[in-house]
Amino acid sequence: MRQISLIDVAGGIAVVAVLALAPVFVASNYLTGVLTVCVIYGIWASSWDFMSGLTGRENFGHSLFIGAGAYTAGFLATIWFTNPWYSLPAAVIIAVGFSLLVGFPTLRLRGPYFALAMLSASAILQRLCLIFWEYTGGEEGLYGLDPLIRNPLHYYWFVLAILVVTVIVLTLLAQSHWGLLLRAIRGDEATCQAAGINVTFYKIASLAISAGFAGLGGALYAHYQLQVSPPLFSVVVSITVIIMVYVGGIGSIYGAAIAAILLTLLTEMLRGFGEYRLWIYTLTLMLILFFLPNGLIAPLWRRMTERFR
Amino acid sequence: MTALLEVNDVTKRFGGLTAVKNATFTLQKGEFTGILGPNGAGKTTLFNLLTGFMPPTSGTITFNGEALQSLAPYKIVNRGMARTFQLTRPFVGMNLLENVLVACMSPRAHVDRDKEERARHLLEQVGLGGRGAEPVETLPYGDLRRLEIARALATRPDLLLLDEPFAGLGSSEIEPLAQLIKRLHREENLTILLIEHKLREFMALVSRVIVMNFGEIIAVGPPEEIVKNPKVIEAYIGKTEDAHASA
Repeated sequence: MRQISLIDVAGGIAVVAVLALAPVFVASNYLTGVLTVCVIYGIWASSWDFMSGLTGRENFGHSLFIGAGAYTAGFLATIWFTNPWYSLPAAVIIAVGFSLLVGFPTLRLRGPYFALAMLSASAILQRLCLIFWEYTGGEEGLYGLDPLIRNPLHYYWFVLAILVVTVIVLTLLAQSHWGLLLRAIRGDEATCQAAGINVTFYKIASLAISAGFAGLGGALYAHYQLQVSPPLFSVVVSITVIIMVYVGGIGSIYGAAIAAILLTLLTEMLRGFGEYRLWIYTLTLMLILFFLPNGLIAPLWRRMTERFR
Repeated sequence: MTALLEVNDVTKRFGGLTAVKNATFTLQKGEFTGILGPNGAGKTTLFNLLTGFMPPTSGTITFNGEALQSLAPYKIVNRGMARTFQLTRPFVGMNLLENVLVACMSPRAHVDRDKEERARHLLEQVGLGGRGAEPVETLPYGDLRRLEIARALATRPDLLLLDEPFAGLGSSEIEPLAQLIKRLHREENLTILLIEHKLREFMALVSRVIVMNFGEIIAVGPPEEIVKNPKVIEAYIGKTEDAHASA
C-alpha cells in the first residue's frame, strides 16, 4: 500500500521532540497545562479524521464520544470511587457502546442523515445531563476527580504518548487494506457493494474505532480538569474538532493532530486581545479555509518534502 | 443439469409504471445468455433485481438453490453472482490495482496471503497487465470496462452479469473486448448473462437470447430463431407501414 517514507518518520520524531521538550525549557505550569489541552484536542481531531475523513461521512457529534468518555471517568471517580486508572478502559468501552448505538440505525442511511443523527444524539446527551442533575451534577457537572499522575509535566508526557500512539495506530490502519476500503466507501458505495464489500459493517467499525479514541481523550481531559460538565457534549466542541481537521488536511490524520495543537495554542495566545480574540481566530480560519480548501498542514508538508520522497 | 438461476414470476413496479412484468426464465450452468430489448424495456431493472440493488415487488429469484430476493447486494455477490455497471463506476482517486484490490477483500474472493498479487493477476487476465499504478481518471472507456470485469472476477463469480459492455465503445475496442468475454466464458467456466444493444456482437457471442419489450419477456430462443421471430422484429423495427397509415 501507500508507504510511509523516512522523511515522514523524521518529521514526526522532530515534532514530538519539540512538543516533549518545550515545557522543559520554558518551565511554566501554565504552558504545560495549555499543551496538555492542545494534545488532547489532537487525539479528538485525529480520531474524527479516521472515520469521517476516510469514509466521507461527516460526524457532527464527535462531542458525544468525548463527553461519554469524560463522564464515564467522572462517574467512576465520584460515585464508585474506583482507581482513576480504570477510567481509561471504561471510557473507551462506553464511547464504543454509544457509537454502536448511534451507528447501527444511522450509518445504513445515506446523505446527511448520519451527520444530523450524530448532532442530535450529542445534543440529547447534553440535555439529559441537565435533566438528571441529581446524578450528573447538572450545569456544575461532576468534580473532585483524582489526577492520574500528580506531576503536571509527567501527565503531559503521558497524554502526548497517547496522542503518538493514536496517530500511529490510525495512520497504519488508514494505510492498510482496511483504509483502502474506507476510501472506496467514500468513492462509491454501490461499487463497493458490487465488489462484495459489507459497507455498513466497515462504516460502523470505523466509527467505533474513532469513538474509542475520542472517549479515551475525553477521560484524559476529565482527569486533567479534575471535573466534567455538560459543555463537553456541546456542538461547539464537535465543530471545533471538524475545523481542526479541515485545517490539517482531511484524511491525513497527522495533519489533524498538528492543526489541533496549533489552533488550540493560537486561541490561548490570542487571550491578550480580549474581546477581539474570536474575531481574529475566526478570520484566520476563514482565510485558511477559503484560500486552502484542501487544508494547510498536510498539503504544506507534502509539498515541502516532495523531493525527499 | 441443474439450473444455476431460476427467476420465477418477478415483477417490479415504480408507482404506476411496471418496469418488469412477470419475468420467468432459468439459466443453466455454463450457459451464455443475452438479454435483448429496446431502450426502456426493463433490462437494467431486471439486472438490479437479480443483484439485489432493488427489491422486486413480487416473485422469487433462486440462485444455486437459495432464495435471493431479500438479500443485500454484497451478500448476493458473495454467493457468486457478480455484475458490471452500464455506466462504469470506478473508485476515483485510486489507481487500477487499488480498484481491483477492494474486491479482493470481499469474503468470497478468499485471498489469504497476497491480495496485491491476486489483483495484479486479475488485471493481467483482462488485458490491463502492468498498468496497476495508473490512475483511473485518465483511463479510456474500453479499459474502464475491462477494469469493471476484473473487479467482478475478483469475487470468483459463478454467474457474471454484464450490463451493456460495448456501449459507447469504438469498433476497434469492441472486438478485443468481445474476445475477452468469450475467453472468460470458455476458460473460467463462467455462466454469463449479458445485456446488449449492438446486435451483431451480441448474436456472435450468445447461445441463447431472452427478448424483452415494455418490461415483458416476449421471446426466448437461440439467436438464429430470434432474428426471425415476428414479435421481435415488431419490437425492434416497429409495425409495418399499414399500422402507420391507420394511425
